Amino acid sequence: MPFFKVTLIRSGIGLTHKKLGVLKALGLRKRMRTVFHDVNPAIAGQLMKVKELIALSTTDKKLSRRQMHEKRQPPPGFVVEKSRLVEGEGKS
Amino acid sequence: MFGAFRPTSALFGGLLWKRPWRISRPQKYRQRQRLQRIDRIVDTIESALAKRGMTSQAVEVWKAEMPTESEMPPRDKYTIFDKKHKGYRKGIHKLPKWTRVSQRINPIGF
Repeated sequence: MPFFKVTLIRSGIGLTHKKLGVLKALGLRKRMRTVFHDVNPAIAGQLMKVKELIALSTTDKKLSRRQMHEKRQPPPGFVVEKSRLVEGEGKS
Repeated sequence: MFGAFRPTSALFGGLLWKRPWRISRPQKYRQRQRLQRIDRIVDTIESALAKRGMTSQAVEVWKAEMPTESEMPPRDKYTIFDKKHKGYRKGIHKLPKWTRVSQRINPIGF
């Protein structure tokens, strides 16, 4: 099932209350906030109202905020080949 | 140097327009990028709905009424209609919040 991936890239400060309300309804409270929404005409109409402020793409997977945060993390720089801790637990 | 009577260009020259009457080349470039980005967003919404066999009135009205960036003449991209202005046109950067609002078409007859 496809989703709209919406990121607020321009602030709504100073725009009309209708547009600010649409941003609030979409869950876009701050810049660079990303939200996922179903693909349907109601959401499409809301996105058309604030199309000047957002970055938009479609995805198949809906990610939580934690998952998006983890995707941004750099690799740790090491690989655990064998854990002594796990071995020790196995013996005792 | 400081205070109410400091020599500034506004005090020396009287009237000082801080917004130039025309927009610069990089501003025009960024304006085109913004227009193209909005076109892409509308296309994304339309194709996503079409894949599910849906349509949206907002998208259809926009597609019927608004030209895309490539269809717009430079006159419409960089200037807007103003009834008080000489030649009825002024730079689009005079439009409040011009980088965050859509302004593509002219009043009928202009």
